Amino acid sequence: MQAKTTMDHADLIPDLPLEVRVHGRGGQGGVTCAKLIAGLFSQLGLHVQTFGDYGSERAGAPVQAYARIDRAPIRNANKVYRPGHLLVLDEALLGPHILEGVEPGALLLLNTPQPLAHFAGRFDRYRFAVLDATAIAREHGIGSASVVIINTTILGAYARILGLPLKVLDEAYAHLGLASDLPAAEAAFATVEIAEPRETAPAAPTPHAAPPPVMPILQHRADTPASLKTGNWSSQIPAYVESPAPCNHACPAGNDVVGFVQALAKGDSAKAAALLFETQPLPSVCGRVCPAPCMNACNRAAFDGAVNIRSLERLVGDSATATPTREDVLHPQHIAVVGGGPAGLSAAYQLARAGHLATIYEAGPQLGGVLATGIPAFRLPPEMLQRDLERILALGIKARLSTPIRKADLATLTKDHDGVVVAVGFGASKSLGIAGENLGNVEQGLAFLARVKEMPEILSGTVIVVGGGNTAIDCARTALRCGADKVKLVYRRAKKDMPAIAEEIAEAEREGVMVMAHRQPIAIHERGALADVVLAEMEAGPADASGRRRPVVTARTATLTASKILLALGQGNEHDLLPAGWSLRGARAYHGEQALPVYFAGDCAEGEGTVTHAIGSGRKAAAAILTRTHAVVLAKDVALPVAPGQIRFDAFPVAAPHADRLIHPAAFAGDFSETNLGLADAAEASRCFSCGHCTLCDTCLISCPEGVIAQRGGHYRVDPEYCKGCGMCVAECPRAGIEMQEKRV
Amino acid sequence: MNDVCNTAAIFRQGNTNCGGCGMSITLQMLRRAVGANPVHLVIPACCGAVAGGTFPQSTYGVPTIMSTFASAAAVASGLASVASLNGEGTRVIVLAGDGGTFDIGFATLSAAAERNEDILFLCYDNEIYGNTGGQRSSATPQGAVTSNTLEGKLEQKKDILAVMAAHRIPYAASVSLAHAEDTQKKFAHAVAQKGFRFLHVLSPCPTGWKSEPALGLELVRLAVRSGLWPVYEIFDGKRYTVSIEPDFSDEALGLYLSLQRRFQKSGLTAADLRPAIERNWQSLRALSGRIIPGKRESREG
Amino acid sequence: MSSQLLSANHAAALATTLAARANRKGKGFVSGVYPITPSTECMEYLCNQKIEKGRVVRVESEHSAMGVCIGGAAAGARSFTATSSNGLAYMVENCIAAANLRLPVVMVVANRTLGPPWNIWADQGDALLLRDAGLIQFYCASNQEVFDTVLSAFRLAEDGRVMMPVMVNMEGFILSHNVAPVEIPQQGLVDDFLPLTDIPHRLETVPHTLGQVELPHQNECHRFQHHTAMLAAAAIYDDIRAQFEPIFGRALQGALVPYRCDDAETLIVSMGTMGITAERVVDDMRAAGARVGSLRLRLFRPLPVDAIRAVFAGKKRIAILDRNIGLGLGGVLWSDTRALADPGAVVQNYLTGLGGGDVRPEHIAKIVADIAAREISGAPMLMEAV
Repeated sequence: MQAKTTMDHADLIPDLPLEVRVHGRGGQGGVTCAKLIAGLFSQLGLHVQTFGDYGSERAGAPVQAYARIDRAPIRNANKVYRPGHLLVLDEALLGPHILEGVEPGALLLLNTPQPLAHFAGRFDRYRFAVLDATAIAREHGIGSASVVIINTTILGAYARILGLPLKVLDEAYAHLGLASDLPAAEAAFATVEIAEPRETAPAAPTPHAAPPPVMPILQHRADTPASLKTGNWSSQIPAYVESPAPCNHACPAGNDVVGFVQALAKGDSAKAAALLFETQPLPSVCGRVCPAPCMNACNRAAFDGAVNIRSLERLVGDSATATPTREDVLHPQHIAVVGGGPAGLSAAYQLARAGHLATIYEAGPQLGGVLATGIPAFRLPPEMLQRDLERILALGIKARLSTPIRKADLATLTKDHDGVVVAVGFGASKSLGIAGENLGNVEQGLAFLARVKEMPEILSGTVIVVGGGNTAIDCARTALRCGADKVKLVYRRAKKDMPAIAEEIAEAEREGVMVMAHRQPIAIHERGALADVVLAEMEAGPADASGRRRPVVTARTATLTASKILLALGQGNEHDLLPAGWSLRGARAYHGEQALPVYFAGDCAEGEGTVTHAIGSGRKAAAAILTRTHAVVLAKDVALPVAPGQIRFDAFPVAAPHADRLIHPAAFAGDFSETNLGLADAAEASRCFSCGHCTLCDTCLISCPEGVIAQRGGHYRVDPEYCKGCGMCVAECPRAGIEMQEKRV
Repeated sequence: MNDVCNTAAIFRQGNTNCGGCGMSITLQMLRRAVGANPVHLVIPACCGAVAGGTFPQSTYGVPTIMSTFASAAAVASGLASVASLNGEGTRVIVLAGDGGTFDIGFATLSAAAERNEDILFLCYDNEIYGNTGGQRSSATPQGAVTSNTLEGKLEQKKDILAVMAAHRIPYAASVSLAHAEDTQKKFAHAVAQKGFRFLHVLSPCPTGWKSEPALGLELVRLAVRSGLWPVYEIFDGKRYTVSIEPDFSDEALGLYLSLQRRFQKSGLTAADLRPAIERNWQSLRALSGRIIPGKRESREG
Repeated sequence: MSSQLLSANHAAALATTLAARANRKGKGFVSGVYPITPSTECMEYLCNQKIEKGRVVRVESEHSAMGVCIGGAAAGARSFTATSSNGLAYMVENCIAAANLRLPVVMVVANRTLGPPWNIWADQGDALLLRDAGLIQFYCASNQEVFDTVLSAFRLAEDGRVMMPVMVNMEGFILSHNVAPVEIPQQGLVDDFLPLTDIPHRLETVPHTLGQVELPHQNECHRFQHHTAMLAAAAIYDDIRAQFEPIFGRALQGALVPYRCDDAETLIVSMGTMGITAERVVDDMRAAGARVGSLRLRLFRPLPVDAIRAVFAGKKRIAILDRNIGLGLGGVLWSDTRALADPGAVVQNYLTGLGGGDVRPEHIAKIVADIAAREISGAPMLMEAV
């Protein structure tokens, strides 16, 4: 048998003459859809007619289009009132009138992401077909980002319903110049779901309604607002959602940075303090010594300089008068916290705030760990640490000082308590492993700092500090204050690679510390009371596992004579605290296979080495103790932070950051007073973009073309009945506080 | 901007303008400037007339009359005459597109301006005959593809503000909807001022410009930044004040062009437009008496 | 009451001035005007009157003249304009708008041939452009008639049952520039005659829109309501006439002016000044024993169909004179009225005075002779061919 020609397929079309009605939206191809249908039938050699119902509606408004098909020339110029085929291009158009004039048994083809089963019982009278033409067309890239054009796709499904072979569709698309959209049509052809009519009882005929009386023009003087609901023009609607600000996202302590800064910007320092106290027991400390990853992440950095968050935190910590409160719980748990450094303090703080009993076991004579011993007074005055500590202890936390905990003690503590947090910090300081390291004038930096903090000592001559972290900088600046004539800081990588806080490096250099980058001591020789340090030049070697190029020693050396050499190379975190049979899985201790209510926190668990990491870690441990799960969810765990590209920079005037007030004493010897006075006031807070967090700035409301955004009770509401979904509010929001969301049909 | 909800809307919900329409934004902003002043609105045949709703409903929240295409300023003259004869404070405002301003309405506009009628004539310029589906007008910029200039319009956009300045009307200004505060100031001044006031608003038209509806205000911002849309005021036809200093960014200009498909076919580039922009600003600098860019002066001195 | 020697243009302007002043306690008077021969003197005169609470806006085109009237009326004021020929053609769009918006603008048209080629003389073709547009149309034949008709046009246009534009026509030069005595009433009498303008759908403070989009059914209803109001206007005009006479002490001419028609066998039908010439011919021919009568239509829209049919009843020969031509058919008055004659009557159309030529008594006599010789109606004829 010969293959049928396209013309021959006309006899496949039953029920001629046929009338088709298409329901679509202005600008989305509804009229073209009817035209394509007419084109398809025309290819089959039939007489066709097609036209749109031209009203005055605009893009997005519901529109209708028609096609008529017959074997004889068409003699009807009216709209289609009784369609045999009804195509609905958008599920949201399924209103009460859509089936007007549609007889039982007629075809209803619906574009919807829902499967056939979803509509069970609703369209049983009709030959009902569904397909997700939008998804198919989007996948094939037909239309634009905001408007997917589905008419060429849906035609494929339509051909299948008509019973036309795929070959006819292919030929028709070639004839209609739509070859590029054929793959989408074929996908529709393959995936359309069709259900035959189940009910045969005809619907009651709709009576022909007499047109309503028309008010004479002369009586037209009352206010009659429009009844048209434009809310159904769009499948999307704006929603006010909070997205993680990069500062929050970056904060290891989990501080609500944007929250407290915005509270300051609004002049509400009490709220700022309350927000900080949620996660931050040591604001006066962190406000001074935190490396402030929040500031590195700040979106304003890419514009005119990061917001000076650290000093804003300091302002809050130093001036807060309120104290955190303790909750009441029916059955308080008793938790032992081993270690009184920032991690232990944070754990105890969170436990106490939650109403539990915490006892800190501290090996040393005072709380604070490295904060008390390792950070010089000119950077962190002891009274400021004391202030934070008192606030923590005021929650009813017990502190057992000079009480070291050993292996055996840990097992006992675990027995005697409902849980234990181990936060003993780093282990021993690292050494260089070179000849002469044990000479009398070579000393570990942390030991030096602790000693000087107890009692200032007198230095002279040249002091060499080895290392690039904050301890190294602190050592160098302390040495100056002890009277050293010259302080040279030796670092094996480039200056930009130094892990110390950039501002601190700058201050050290301003004070006279000389940074010698790309240098490493390879030997130390005794020279009477002094020592000769042999420094090798370093150059970048091959990359290590982390991708960082390890510096390697070269043959080029120079020798410096120093009165003292301070080592600030970091610390290890090896601890021999676990009793026999215990092991660590993650941060939790196990005895054999039995999980223990013992959690490790801070540097001994994570080894990040900053106060703020320790605080976050302590809080996590406290939550884990209480819930036996890791219940603390930090911003960074949830979603990506708001990127600079999402901030509308031009909404903000350029304004340089408010710098800290620095004191530059003429002579340092013996002067350990604080050199950084922080900010004078909270004006800096107003520079905060408030990324991802609505500030009620009214930009959305002012730019809404429809005037359908209203502010009530401290938040905005978009009227879904009228919002056309243009997205202007989203595009105009300076801070990514709104996003478009798909409506639920 | 705290009073945004306290005045009745001039342009209400249920209107049939496209989403993201600049005329809609214009009217929302106008509402805040009008405040409690009584207003009569005149709208010639344009999208604004269609958007008014179907009889007897009205999407306009003030008494409004639809005029024939060319007649807005004449009809407004009649309304303003009655308001003045009866000592009513009614502010008569014309809302016309670029066709009803630059083209068919031009003679009427010019005559009403020459008579210094007490009218605020607000032109929302979408640089196209939008209501008929996007044909070129004398406000269409050179290079823009329209439905009847498929290769891009060859001629330059008419400098309507220069024409209005030549009428020596008390106030004429161009408006950037992307600068709400400046817009607000100008709208408020124009509403309060007596005599003929002319405001020229660059009105993004996602349908005609073939751009994303959400990006309308961003496009205006780019046009301002690049210097393509100078934002300035003219008092009494002689005192020129630049309201917003552009940074003459070619990047902004390029972005402005690339975000609108109407410019894509003609292949217009920032470099093509730059000389005309520079000439335009040279004359604007001379007229404003400022060779060096300066800060915006307060109108009231 | 005083008598002044006035051109019809000035008479129209003076009537308008009095009507304008009469609304001083209402919303006032607004007029948009633009010069065009032969109407110019009317607007000039108006511009030089002092009108309390009135403004005459000297606009840049006829289109805007009517635009100003639309605005003025939409705000509730009494409004007026005057024009001619191409000016009216240019104004047409806004005349239709004023009519559709049901605004009671009064306009005076000095009928003149449309050009180019230019011809400044009388032809009713300009006004007939608006035959079907929803404006009431009067055609006058004397200066007094122009004065009285303009005055009562305000009353008719602004009647709450009518509320639409009224156009008062006079032939250019022939009447517009004809100077004759006109009885002018005191302002007080005009105040008594004309109520304050009250346009029910005017713009005030309640938000509503005039002229927005209408759906097909709304539009057809509004058109038909307009049509119905127009049909009712003839009777309302008669009411106005009944009130005119007691106030001003003289009769206001009716919609039709039949002259010696009752026993006539032959009827001369016309509009405008040709009608008074026809009356003189009737007198002359009656004196010679011919049973001839004249019917002059003053009200052309709404067309007083029943009244015309009543006059036509029993007439064997009806000569319809048109100072206009509906190209492709014939005279407009003829085409509109020929069906109102008795079956079998000879209805013959004569195109007379096109382009402003005089229609003298001997022309009309010749026409009467021509129709007397006819057994059946023929195609419309140019007067020269008779």
